[in-house]
Parts: sequence; C-alpha cells; structure tokens
Amino acid sequence: MKFLRTILDKQSKHFEEGGKFPKLYPLFEAIDTLLYTSGKVTSKGSHVRDALDLKRMMLMVIYALIPAIIMALYNTGFQSNIGIASIADYEPTGWQQQFFLMIGLTFDSTSILSNMVLGALYFFPIYLVTLAVGGFWEVLFAVVRKHEINEGFFVTSILFPLILPPDIPYWQVALGITFGVVIGKEVFGGVGMNILNPALTGRAFLFFAYPAQISGDKVWAAVDGMSKASPLGQFADSSMQLTATWWDSFIGLIPGSMGETSTLAILIGAAFLIITKIGSWRTMLSVLVGMVLMAFTFNLIGSDTNPMFAVTPAWHLVLGGFAFGAVFMATDPVSAAFTNTGKYYYGFFIGVLVVLVRVVNPAFPEGMMLAILFMNVFAPIIDRFVIKGNIKRRLARNG
Amino acid sequence: MAKANYKEIVFDPIFKNNPIALQMLGICSALAVTTKLETSLVMSLAVVVVIAFSNLFVSLIRNHVPGSIRILVEMTIIASLVIIADQFIKAFAYDVSKQLSIFVGLIITNCIVMGRAEAYALKNPPLQSFMDGIGNGMGYAVILLVVGFFRELLGSGKFFGISIFSLTNEGGWYLGNGLMLLAPSAFFLIAFFIWILRTFYPDQVEE
Amino acid sequence: MAKKDSTTKTILVALGVCFVASILVSTAAVELKPIQENNKKLDLLKNILAAGDLYQEGIDINKTFEEKVSAQIVDLNTGNVIPSTEYDDVLNIENFNVNVLASSAKWGEDITATDDIAGIKRKPTAMAIYTVMDDSNSVEKYILPIYGKGLWSTLYGFIALDKDLHTIKGFTFYQHGETPGLGGEVDNPKWKSQWIGKQAYDADGNLKIEVIKGIVDQTSDKAKYQIDGLSGSTLTTRGVNNLVRFWLSENGYGPFLNKLKGDNNG
Repeated sequence: MKFLRTILDKQSKHFEEGGKFPKLYPLFEAIDTLLYTSGKVTSKGSHVRDALDLKRMMLMVIYALIPAIIMALYNTGFQSNIGIASIADYEPTGWQQQFFLMIGLTFDSTSILSNMVLGALYFFPIYLVTLAVGGFWEVLFAVVRKHEINEGFFVTSILFPLILPPDIPYWQVALGITFGVVIGKEVFGGVGMNILNPALTGRAFLFFAYPAQISGDKVWAAVDGMSKASPLGQFADSSMQLTATWWDSFIGLIPGSMGETSTLAILIGAAFLIITKIGSWRTMLSVLVGMVLMAFTFNLIGSDTNPMFAVTPAWHLVLGGFAFGAVFMATDPVSAAFTNTGKYYYGFFIGVLVVLVRVVNPAFPEGMMLAILFMNVFAPIIDRFVIKGNIKRRLARNG
Repeated sequence: MAKANYKEIVFDPIFKNNPIALQMLGICSALAVTTKLETSLVMSLAVVVVIAFSNLFVSLIRNHVPGSIRILVEMTIIASLVIIADQFIKAFAYDVSKQLSIFVGLIITNCIVMGRAEAYALKNPPLQSFMDGIGNGMGYAVILLVVGFFRELLGSGKFFGISIFSLTNEGGWYLGNGLMLLAPSAFFLIAFFIWILRTFYPDQVEE
Repeated sequence: MAKKDSTTKTILVALGVCFVASILVSTAAVELKPIQENNKKLDLLKNILAAGDLYQEGIDINKTFEEKVSAQIVDLNTGNVIPSTEYDDVLNIENFNVNVLASSAKWGEDITATDDIAGIKRKPTAMAIYTVMDDSNSVEKYILPIYGKGLWSTLYGFIALDKDLHTIKGFTFYQHGETPGLGGEVDNPKWKSQWIGKQAYDADGNLKIEVIKGIVDQTSDKAKYQIDGLSGSTLTTRGVNNLVRFWLSENGYGPFLNKLKGDNNG
C-alpha cells in the first residue's frame, strides 16, 4: 500500500498549479482521496465534530443499497428466465443472452447462479454506461469550474440504473444520466446547490422523451417482445388479471424497474440508514403516513370505474417505486427539506401525491418519481416557512 | 436627443437585450407554438409585424394621447393589429392557423408588445419606434426559431416538415424524442439559449 | 386645439382611435372572409379525400371531390337520406360540424350512459356520408365521419367502408390531442394501414372489429377482425376501439348500413 501512496505523491506535482496538467487536478484529487483520506488538514479551529465526512456518508448509502442491488440482479435474471421458459423453441436475443449461453450457462429460473449471472449481464453494462457518461460530465464541469469532483455522483450513478427497466437501450441511459447530471445538478452549481434529485431528473427525462422504452408492459422483463405488465399496471387496468401475490411483491419477484421491486431488500437498507443516522427517519415515516392516509381515503370513496381506488395501503407500499423512492430518493439530503419540521411536511406530501397520481391520473400508472421531483421543488419553500415560524415563536417568547 | 443609431435599435434586442432571454417576456407563446419550425416562423412574423406597427402608430399619436387613456389607446391599437394579423393568417396560411389556434389572438397579451409601446414608442419618434419594434420582434423571433428548430428536429426528425432523420415508426433509425413535443421542453431550450448567451455576455448575469 | 389632457380631447382621441381601428378591423374581416371560408371547406374536403385514399399533394381538391365523391346527410335513427330541402343553418353539407349538430336541440340527442362508450354524451341525429364513385360511376366505398374520447382529447376522423359494407378501406384521424409518441401514434401511417382490408362485421352482420391490447396473432381466425393496440397507451387504444364500435353499432351507422344492405339485396 505504501507503494501506491508513493506513486500518487510523485504524480501530484504534475497536477498542481504550475505542473503539466493543472486542469486535471480535480480528477487526480478524486482518485487520491478515494484511495486515501484527504491530504488537506484543517489548519484553523475545526468545526468538524466526528469522522463522518461527505465521502463516508455516501459510502454508507452505497452499503445500504447492497441488498437492493443483489435483489436487482437476482430478480432481473429471474424474470427473464421465466419469460424465456414460457416461450417454446426460444431463440436468444441480444448480446447478453448470447454471451450467457456462450459461458456455458442455461436459462433456468430455479438456479440462483443462472438468475444472478443473467441479471448481472443486464445490470452492470447499464451501470458502467451511467458511470462513464455521468463521470465524464462531472469531470468536465469540475475542470471548467475548477472545483473538486464530488462523491455524490457515486450514489447518483448507482441509484440511476436501479430505477431503470433492464432492457433500456444504452444510448438512452447515456442521454438520461447526461440530462440528470447537467440539468438536474450542474446548472444549479453542482452538488449541494441542486434543487432536484439528479437520478430522478434523468429518469423523468427518459420517461417523457422515450415513453415507449420506460413505461407500458413490454419493458419490464428482459425478453424481446415479451409483454409482462408490472402488478401496478395490472391494478390500473381492470381487463388484466393480477398475477402476483402480495408476498411476491414484497420480496421482489415481480417485473419492474431493476432495483425497485424488492420492498424487503429496500427495508433492510432503510434500517441500516436509520441506525447509522444517514437517512432521515422523519422523511421515510411521513412519506409512509401520507401514503396510508391518502390510500385509505380513496378506499373509502371507492369508484365503479377506476379499479385503482380500491388498492389498499399495503399494496401501495410494495408496488412500483414507492419503497425505493421513500428510502433512497426522498431522503437525498440536498434536494429534500432541511429542517426537521419541514421533513414531515415534505414527506407527507410525497406520500399523498404518489397515491393521487397513481389513482387519479389516467396516463401515468406510477407516481413516485413525479411526486418526489414535485416536492423537491417545494422543499426550499417549506424550509422557509418553518424557519419563519420558528423566528416568530422565538420573538413571541423572548419579546 | 442624440441622433438615433438605427443599427443599434434594430440589432441590440436580438442578443444584447433580448426580450425573452433577458427580460423574460412573452414566454407563454414561445412554449405553445414551437413544436414545428413552420408555426414558429409564422408566429414570429406576426409578432414582428404587430410590434413594429403598434410602435409606429402609438408613436405617431403620442403627442395627442392624454395620459389618462393612454393604456386604452395602446390596447385598442394592438388588439386591432392582432385581429388583422389573425385574419390574414387564417386567409393565407390556413393549415398553420389551425395549429396556432388561439395563440395568434394571444399576441394581444404578449408583454413585449405592450411593453415596447409603453417604454419606447410613447417617448420616441415614429421611425425609431418602428425600428425598435422590428428589433424586439426579431429578438422574439430568434428564440422562437431556435426553439422551433430543435424541437422539430429532435422531436420529429424534420426540418420545415422535410424529413432529416428518418423515424423508427416509419422504418428509419431515429427514435423521436417525445419530450421535445411537449411544451416544457421549450423551457429547457430557452434556458440553454440563455446559458450560452450569458457565457458571451457575462454582464447579463443577474446577481 | 384643446389641451392635451382636457376632457374634450380625451373623448375625441378615444373616439378617433376607435373609429379608425374599427374600420380597419372590419374591412379586413369582411374582405378576407370568402378566402377563409374557402380554406375551411377545402380543409374538410381534403380530410375526406385523404380518408378515401384519393388525396395527393397538389391535386385540385374541389375538382377531385366533385368528380369522385357525392355527399349526403342521413338520419341516423331511420337510415334515410335527408333531402336537401330540409337543410337549415345547422344542418348542411357545406358547414357540416358534428359538435354544432350534437349540441343543437333539433339535430342532437342525449346518449344513455350505458350506450355512450365513445364518451361523447350527445350525438347528432344526422350525419354526413360521403360516397366515393369509381370511374364507371358506381359506388366504390362509403366514408363515414367518426369521433370519440381518447385519453386527453376527442379524436375526430373518418372510417371508409367498401361497397360490400363490411370491409374497411381506410381509417384516419384528422384532429386529436393525444400524447406524442404514445397515443399520438394513431397518426402513424403504419398503424393506420393495418385497418385496410379488415372486416368490420362477420357474415351474419355482427359487429366484430376491435382494437386489441398488444399485437394481433396473425394465425388466429379472429385476426381479420382485429387491430394492434398502440404500445404503451392503453387508454387511447381503448378510446379508439370504443369510438369505432360505437359508430358502427346500431347507435351509430347501423340503421343506415342495414338500409343500404336491404337496397343492395332488393
């Protein structure tokens, strides 16, 4: 390890002011601090209270995502294996399936290995594209604006593939993350200044730009031309039979965006985030409360024509991107409300809006992405009112 | 008053003092009519004509208009011009007028027209006012055409209705970007335009 | 001359401006009216020709229409042709407008909620039918106006039926506001061309045509009655299915088509 440190130190002069590549300093710094702790030491009175800096915090989020990622791999493979098994004389399509057969594996939905490898063949290329393209924009902006590359992107880059369907074209992944990073984050001045969650912004772009590849019932299983509606879509359309049980949905063995299907895996991550105090339990809880109240209200009202009115809160919890959004997206510290009171309002309205969009809007079966983005925009205003309220109370108390 | 520099009056509003990009006026119609270059062009022409002539007429009678009814007089002039423009479009560009529908009529409420009449034409001689109207109209037109160009090209793969990228649903290779066909995309494109503009004219950046 | 802000001057200026403006506006409106009316008419004719596969860029629309197409208005409830002596301001061939008719007291009627699958609430009791003649001047096909609710908007279009009264010869919407890329694909020429040759009714005259969800299984014996759904837009697909089935049912053109069939046989 000493050896690596020496190499880095030797190279550092090239990247500093007056060296050969001063413009590439942000890139060097990012690699250096990823491998070692920062070389900069606070010289004046420090206000850092513990060892938890942004980089460690982001790493924690990634740890929390591990169960969801594992389930993403397993379920993506599982869904396409089931799909393939249902077609007689199946001809493999796409390089993933060709490669999969080449390394000697067979399509078998009962084999964990087969499911995991096939899932990985779909997930990791999307992840790599996200990382490469998003990373390019991060470095470009860091170089032009002369600031250091922020680790926030590592979280964005892993969240983004998890909320995409498995057979989305790679060029769309590239466009989506470009939009997410540039419009969702960099135009506002980079990490910390963004109003919107970059990963969701990227997904929203793809959702409206190329709806055929990210909605409907053709996209959720990685089998060419295979029509496989997600349970959410089946609820919305009375002509379709619900094919999944609640427990299937909870564990995550349903078609859907790769990382969003398993509520169980997401809840494990949520527990980790809450115990380590990285994610805000206030936000998660209030999203849940908002959703339950709104879903109950719709259950009570009832409707003859719209089957979504009858969906119970328990189902809302395990359908679509609700759990993933509540745990990993709504809690994004930058785009969420900042004050504790504000978090209650912010989360509550996300919960209410999700159900509202799911139930009432005929065009979009899923509302989590839209609800979070919408409340992202309102978060600063919520904070403002909370702070103003605090000031008023204090004035009243202390004269 | 110093001798009027017509070149500046006409060309300043295009980039240096663009009514949409700097003053943020008239955005509504810029969102609504720009899915195609053809509609953008017709709308732009209508606005240029309306601003130029409303400026001219307001300026011609500026010394006779009592302050108390000046806004009413301006509105009457603008509204009449807009109706006339609308009638002409309906008569000579019927297909486009169907797509523009109500938005030609809404030029009446376009802040640029009223704004220029109030801010410029009331205080300046007719020819200068006319030129100012053309300049500001062109500033509006530039944005509309840029936005219309990109929305049509990226959204439907076309340029003035002629296929440039062959679309996948017609057997080609280009998958149309649906976002570009929705109104909000104009916000993004206008924002990009402003971003580029302010990179060249840093003094436009607001603190 | 009165002072600039005096009451007299204010009134004078106001009157003067109004006078000049009103003259200009009314001149423009009156002078341009005939051209606009002509545009409107040509546009309607063009859509009809397009539905009948008779339109090409640059043809003389009026001439082609007069040569090939004859228009008449039929009573939807009886199937009888309404003689032109009964035409009035609302009901006439030149300004045929389904919305004006449907909302009028004389030529519109409410549809009961169970029948109203097209989601249009009221329907005209009379519709314009366009008959396309071939070169030997016998009937080639009928072009029937149809409309109904999709997801966001009302879709307006035409369906063309062959002289055998069950084969579809053309299908087109000329106005709608569905989501571009999803429901908006009703404009897709590839999708529209599927309709040609499909059977609206079976041999016994039962309404069979339907837009299904997903892709039609070509090997199935139902394939000749089925149209692919639009991918990713359940509600537009359902809307199109419903509006076509509404207009081809007994509530729509049923009585008229039966009458024609009777005439053909007798």
